Amino acid sequence: MPDGYLGPNTYIPLWLIMIPIWYYAGRWLKTNLRTKQVPYLALAAAFSFVIMMFNVPIPGGSTGHAVGSALVAIILGPWAAVVTTSVALLIQCLLFGDGGITTFGANCFNMAVVIPFVGYYAYAFIAGKTKITERRRIIGAGVGGWLGLTVAAACAGFEMGIQPILNSSATGVPLYMPYGLNVTVPAMVFGHAFFFSIIEAVVTAAAFAYIARNDPSIIWNYKAIESASKPRVTAAPA
Amino acid sequence: MIPDWMNATEAGPYQGAASLAKKKGFAKKTVDGVLAFFQESLISETFAKRKGLLQSLDPRVKLISMLVLIVGVTLMRSPWVLLIIYLLTLGLAYFSKIEVLWFVKRVWVFIPIFAGVIVIPMLFNVFLAGNVLVPIATLGNGSHLGPIALPSSIYITQQGTTYVVTFILRVAACVSLAILLFLTTQRDLLFKSLRTLQVPKVYVLTINMCYRYIFLLLDTIADLFTARRSRQIVSLPLREEQKWVGGRVGYMLVKSLDMSDKVHQAMISRGFDGDVKLMHVNVMRHRDYAAIVTVLACCVILGLISQSLISI
Repeated sequence: MPDGYLGPNTYIPLWLIMIPIWYYAGRWLKTNLRTKQVPYLALAAAFSFVIMMFNVPIPGGSTGHAVGSALVAIILGPWAAVVTTSVALLIQCLLFGDGGITTFGANCFNMAVVIPFVGYYAYAFIAGKTKITERRRIIGAGVGGWLGLTVAAACAGFEMGIQPILNSSATGVPLYMPYGLNVTVPAMVFGHAFFFSIIEAVVTAAAFAYIARNDPSIIWNYKAIESASKPRVTAAPA
Repeated sequence: MIPDWMNATEAGPYQGAASLAKKKGFAKKTVDGVLAFFQESLISETFAKRKGLLQSLDPRVKLISMLVLIVGVTLMRSPWVLLIIYLLTLGLAYFSKIEVLWFVKRVWVFIPIFAGVIVIPMLFNVFLAGNVLVPIATLGNGSHLGPIALPSSIYITQQGTTYVVTFILRVAACVSLAILLFLTTQRDLLFKSLRTLQVPKVYVLTINMCYRYIFLLLDTIADLFTARRSRQIVSLPLREEQKWVGGRVGYMLVKSLDMSDKVHQAMISRGFDGDVKLMHVNVMRHRDYAAIVTVLACCVILGLISQSLISI
């Protein structure tokens, strides 16, 4: 969402919501990464930025892009994804004018919080205690990508849809986004659920499958997944 | 000594020779996208090095001023005030030695035009009631478009036109200010000026390092897709191609983390102990104080006008 779409009574609260989230994410990463924090986050954020440059073929000969936040959340953990996606969005809005400065809090909430957490927990729920390369886990990653982006789109639709309610002149003329929730939420959800989120699901599942097969040790909770997926050995009766 | 013609850069979208082909595959599109990104970044960097009005200001002053102006613009309700601010950005671009036509194109493609397309229906009385400005059609009573009941006549309204112009100008003014900020400020100085907004040092360093590695990763992506194109005779089934792209995304993440390990080891071997130090000391000059006072005063006055607390 660029500047001008949301009124201050929407973008300021979203900034205020994001500040403690960034603070906690920073504390979590500092505790877990120590001196490795800067290069790890810098390279992961650079990856979050460049993932949008991958053109994915879609039916009809056209192409689309993926956001990649759910993938980063599954591989690096949702708190790392909060910071890396926020850094990528900041570079995008400060250096390329894409995405707004006043709406930065809202964009971060949708793409750096909703996608990673919804995506990660959907994946974790579906994957359960399966092995790292199991098909169910790969499907879980795809569903995580799809659901994360669709829910984020619904959030963006909600933020835009409340503008006519919150910001209209005395004569009823809207000041920012003009369409109500009955238009923005279905438009964003259907537009994403049947197109962008499908691309997101395909990329997340395929990228996860590649990493799980070739270098699963980079997955942040790999050891926990491995130990949970091992069959329990019970002592033989004496 | 580098000759002048090698330093010269042409502003405008990337036009690769093969990009004239009618239909591009996903690999070609990716490579073209990466090259266009490189070109745009290079052009932006050259503007930041020119000796213009905004380039001569302290980056902290510019950052604060632009942020205050952008917040101010989002509060404005008058299309005339927004038009003045938009024209002001064109003046600032001119005095900052940025080609105004190029600047206008850079701003309007794609965000304000897209914003305009979204709100165009609000011009008509079907979506927003108001006084007649331009009559379009008379339908008579009881007209329907599917399940939607239409009014007896369709026309463009005064209120709708004012709203659409205000909305588009607000978006265009905000985008113009944001673009002016990064076009006239060197990247590393812009990142360091984030310290003024109390962004922790560790994130300033992270952002700076991230920006540099974006180019390295993009170069690798261009190589991956170029290598594929050079070995591909016919297209594979869609599913296989999607799987290949997803695999390359996974590979890039593995490679990024591997690189971060190497960078970390290099930092440790050079004495990094986790304590981030940022070099470069900015010094405020008279013109910087004058600029920030002017911007703040302008914002206050425009805000008062826009909220109808004072009139002109």
